[in-house]
Amino acid sequence: MESAVLFGLLFLFLFIGVPVAVSLGLSSVLVIAIFSHDSVSSLALQLLNASQKYTLLAIPFFILASCFMSTGGVAQRIIRFSIATMGHFRGGLAIASVFACMLFAALSGSSPATVVAIGTIAITAMREVGYTKDFAAGVIANAGTLGILIPPSIVMVVYAAATDVSVGRMFLAGVIPGLLAGTMLMSVIYINARLRGMPKRPFAGMKEILAAGGDASWGLLLIIIILGGIYSGVFTPTEAAAVAAMYAFLIATLVYRDMGPLKGVPWRKEGETLGASAARNTGLLLKNVLSIFFHSDTRGVMVDSAKTTIMLMFIIVNALVFSHVLVGERIPDLITDLMLDAGFTWWQFLIVVNIILLIGGQFMEPSGLLLIVAPVTFPIAIELGIDPIHLGVMMIVNMEIGMITPPIGLNLFVTSGITGMSMERVVKAAMPFCAVLFFFLILVTYIPQISIWLPTLMMGPEIITK
Amino acid sequence: MNKFYKFIDRLEDDFVAILLGLMTLITFGQVVARYGFNSGWGSALEITQVLFAWLVLFGMSYGFKRGIHLGVDLLIRRFSKPMFKLFALIGAALCVLYGVMFLSSDLVGFTGKGGAYKYWEIMYRIGIGMESISLPEFIYGPDVNLPRWVAYAMLPVGLALLILRCVQAFFAILTGHRDMIIASHEAEELLEQNKNVVGD
Repeated sequence: MESAVLFGLLFLFLFIGVPVAVSLGLSSVLVIAIFSHDSVSSLALQLLNASQKYTLLAIPFFILASCFMSTGGVAQRIIRFSIATMGHFRGGLAIASVFACMLFAALSGSSPATVVAIGTIAITAMREVGYTKDFAAGVIANAGTLGILIPPSIVMVVYAAATDVSVGRMFLAGVIPGLLAGTMLMSVIYINARLRGMPKRPFAGMKEILAAGGDASWGLLLIIIILGGIYSGVFTPTEAAAVAAMYAFLIATLVYRDMGPLKGVPWRKEGETLGASAARNTGLLLKNVLSIFFHSDTRGVMVDSAKTTIMLMFIIVNALVFSHVLVGERIPDLITDLMLDAGFTWWQFLIVVNIILLIGGQFMEPSGLLLIVAPVTFPIAIELGIDPIHLGVMMIVNMEIGMITPPIGLNLFVTSGITGMSMERVVKAAMPFCAVLFFFLILVTYIPQISIWLPTLMMGPEIITK
Repeated sequence: MNKFYKFIDRLEDDFVAILLGLMTLITFGQVVARYGFNSGWGSALEITQVLFAWLVLFGMSYGFKRGIHLGVDLLIRRFSKPMFKLFALIGAALCVLYGVMFLSSDLVGFTGKGGAYKYWEIMYRIGIGMESISLPEFIYGPDVNLPRWVAYAMLPVGLALLILRCVQAFFAILTGHRDMIIASHEAEELLEQNKNVVGD
């Protein structure tokens, strides 16, 4: 009874346009007030407790790092490097765009940000050499979804916080699936390009690869700091995120100079000797070492990041309140018993999870959805002997597909927005590549080794306590 | 009056930006202190967590004011104009109810169920201190920690601000100054800046 009212109210509120976070919180608080012996005070306390979770503390820092990395020139540098390495294949520019999306995903962890940063440059470039707009838009909309699969990923942090698995393991688990999904997209483009005789570019040469790679490496070092720091045990994931945010800030203001007081100041002016340039830059750095913190560009990025953090955390906090009520009413236990009594095997169960998430992903923000579904599916998965890391990766791939399927696919909205194409046209353009990702979902769901091989290799087998 | 509102806007922006900035600096500083100087600051983690809680709890109302909270508008967008407005108003009213329920459910008839205010009041009465955030010794003497009610004050204050912003939003929708209380997807602002940048 309580559970029917809880879910009934949730969906009612969601569909009449109440904010997602409020729908979650209000349905929980009404159920507690009407049916339960618990007090509302203890539920209100959950609003505080959620922000005290150490794992979740990584989220604002990752958002901040991502915002600093998304300003201006980083995307351009990554695209230059991608074209230098991949451009000489047939269909090279499209392949390079996928590669650029993968690299950018490793810096930003947000799918819409990836589509905007890479898409705005890459789609125009593809149009210029004769690709159709639909093809270009389809490639970017799909490759952009890799943002939440390739570490660092905010959705993975949320999953780790909800199920108490290690963030480090989840990040590692995303590496091979991320590479696999990217490779599958690139292969399909390549085959397509061979069949249709799409354009290729002359080989850019090792010199350009090295120059472009060197230029992009300041940004790409971020992912090495994060993953290297976590796996060598130097930082906790939360500390790694804070270091990443600080690093991204210093790179954007002092090295790339895309923002802040040094914006547009070259490292070496024309005709300047090496010594003079070194002296001038040292002077500049010393002079601006404090002013970078107080520049209006920095303030702008901070406010934007705070907004994104607030939007996401408000949903997460309320989803935690909701799952607190779920667990309090013993709903996960009931469903577990029901499923086990019905004789579900592990692969039948995974199909059910797939379907629930594919539908849910249409209406809910990924992090919020994960926090509601994870407490219910997690105990069942453990009973059925499914690895929690595998379950997490599978759920995240489901969310990815939710971003490119109508009616509410975030990446479809964003692609339609930046290209000015209608939603229907973007949906059609994204369809063929979406089929590839769907096939990828089946692979990830039924071959657990894709997800758990690397974390087990690097961190040893996992101890599962029931 | 207009100038005053602009000032408040700026103040709010600065407040959330500073909370986030302090969190980052403290956590980063902790890593540097540990590896660079083999030391640390005992209360750094707890302070960061309080700042985070303040960011989220103050942010709730800030988010309603700026219209950044996500919702599903798929269904109500299909309705006729007056129906759409009706549901937008119901949406805003339910947000007010959310704030009131969490602040104190006694206010809407669930007597004895309490809410955030009651929790805070208990904290104030028993005067229990934070685990590791101590007050300056030269004023308060040794071993006096910051009372919890100070750090937790943002819970009732945040909810009260949320109610205020949602009531404002309700009237803004009623008078036609605002469409609805939600943003339909998280990238709305990002898109606004990049609308149709890819030409034909």
